[in-house]
Amino acid sequence: MRSKKGGLYILWEYKLPYLFLVPSVILLIFFLALPLISGIYMSFQKISLAGISEFVGFQNYRLLVGEERFRNNLLLSVLYVAGNVGLSVPLAYAAALLITGKLRGTQFFRAIFLTPFIVTPVVSAILFRSMVDPSFGPITTLLEMITGKRYIILADSTLAMLTIIGHSFWRSFSFVMLFLAAGIATIPTEIYEAAKVDGAGAWARFRSVTFPLTKMHLAIVLLIITMWTVQDAETVYALTGGGPGYSTEVTAVRLFKDAFINFNLSYGATIGVFLLMLSAVFMALYFNLMMRGGELSQ
Amino acid sequence: MKAKDTISWIGFFLISIFVLFPLFWGIRTSLSPRYESSFIPSRLTLEHYQSLFTRPAFLFYFRNSLIVTLGAVGFTLPLALSGGYALARFNFPGKRFGILLLIFPLLPAIAILVPLVSYMYKLGVYDSFIALILTNSVFNMPFALWMLRNFILNTPVEIEEAALLDGCSRIGALCRIALPLMLPGMIAVILFVFITTWNNYLYASALTSSLSVRVLPQGLLSFIGTWGMYWEGLCAAGMLTLIPPLVLFLVFQKWFIAGLFSQWSR
Repeated sequence: MRSKKGGLYILWEYKLPYLFLVPSVILLIFFLALPLISGIYMSFQKISLAGISEFVGFQNYRLLVGEERFRNNLLLSVLYVAGNVGLSVPLAYAAALLITGKLRGTQFFRAIFLTPFIVTPVVSAILFRSMVDPSFGPITTLLEMITGKRYIILADSTLAMLTIIGHSFWRSFSFVMLFLAAGIATIPTEIYEAAKVDGAGAWARFRSVTFPLTKMHLAIVLLIITMWTVQDAETVYALTGGGPGYSTEVTAVRLFKDAFINFNLSYGATIGVFLLMLSAVFMALYFNLMMRGGELSQ
Repeated sequence: MKAKDTISWIGFFLISIFVLFPLFWGIRTSLSPRYESSFIPSRLTLEHYQSLFTRPAFLFYFRNSLIVTLGAVGFTLPLALSGGYALARFNFPGKRFGILLLIFPLLPAIAILVPLVSYMYKLGVYDSFIALILTNSVFNMPFALWMLRNFILNTPVEIEEAALLDGCSRIGALCRIALPLMLPGMIAVILFVFITTWNNYLYASALTSSLSVRVLPQGLLSFIGTWGMYWEGLCAAGMLTLIPPLVLFLVFQKWFIAGLFSQWSR
């Protein structure tokens, strides 16, 4: 932060900042912080359709955890996150290493690469649904050429899960790649030249220069992609609706269906608390990683 | 050196195919006659686009989406601008909590949506444009604020100080000197709010129930229900849905990308 020495600043310094911030802070408190608290409160209530609520303690939690379907929802969320992160981060890192510094038409390619990130999720879900259509979808045809069998992709639980992971991978890959490429681009070229003078080969340069200096970027992008995937309900809902059966019903989709289609608000709120806890666990994990990464690179 | 270049170019090429194939497929399907099963259609037709314009539903949802999106942009920008200015230029107690703005966008919005629905119900705005504009604005506010804070931090404070010493009022200095300098940041924020609001399906489906306030992503999903697997028409509707965000993105991508990626490194 820079210090302000202009005389007039001191006069204003005390009142104005609050005046400038008050509208947005009030909004954030009323529509983000308070709902967060009342969401936790709602999870301890049983709310009937007429709007009458009674306090039931941990009953919603007990009922959900005791449910086979909900335990499967949680497992699928972990699988979904692991699948998307496991695919997009390593591949995007490799791609970022490949393209950094070699981008002659940088702006042009950056814009093209980032389009999946801009595309409306419901639209890309429709595109993917038509690509796996059993009668004319190109992915169905490709799969038939490889396996010799014509699958109805969205009716097969494993293939449906792979479809939602593939779709998220398509949406996040280029974001991760450009994020990491921006990180790699900040490494001064002198370090590489010094390493070369010391006789370090390509692999040694990666291990001792590129990787340690981009650890922080890796941790941040891992966090961002994980959070996006954990809370993603709309692309999965638009692609499979959670089906066939419950085989792609990740936790966020379960929340969406319970709260906004079946209007079971107490279940919705309780699953919301579970999602928040899941996010908190991931955040703690990555922040820990980042702190350690920060120490190592110094 | 030459071999390395070739590998990079092959990489570029493969990534471009991967990234663009679904979009290419969407254009191909929207232009091909019905039940065309070969990869390259025998002829191209505009009938699916024409049929969209003869049905009132699509244009109606398009209009609704525009209202909500422009509303959210108009609502978020002034608030984020004044808040971001305060965070960048003033020192005051509690300022360090500003970092929370970067954590909020990562939290699962869907978890807050359940209580928010009953809030909106009590406020009497459930199932209205106001609820949609408010929700989209609030959920985009933290990141928008943070983006503008960083942009303002990067514009030199000395220019404002000089204007102040020359006798401009604080507000006058802000409007005439600082605002034009913040234009790239404002464009990035406008695009960010526009694209996320335009694309959002979740808040709309949670906060509305009647047809009259339905936005495009909801409309598209409902078409699957009413049209069945009419992929040609669905792809045509999808391609038209993509036009506003894609055009804005392609025109202003330089500022948008800079705004998007520089936020986490500070």
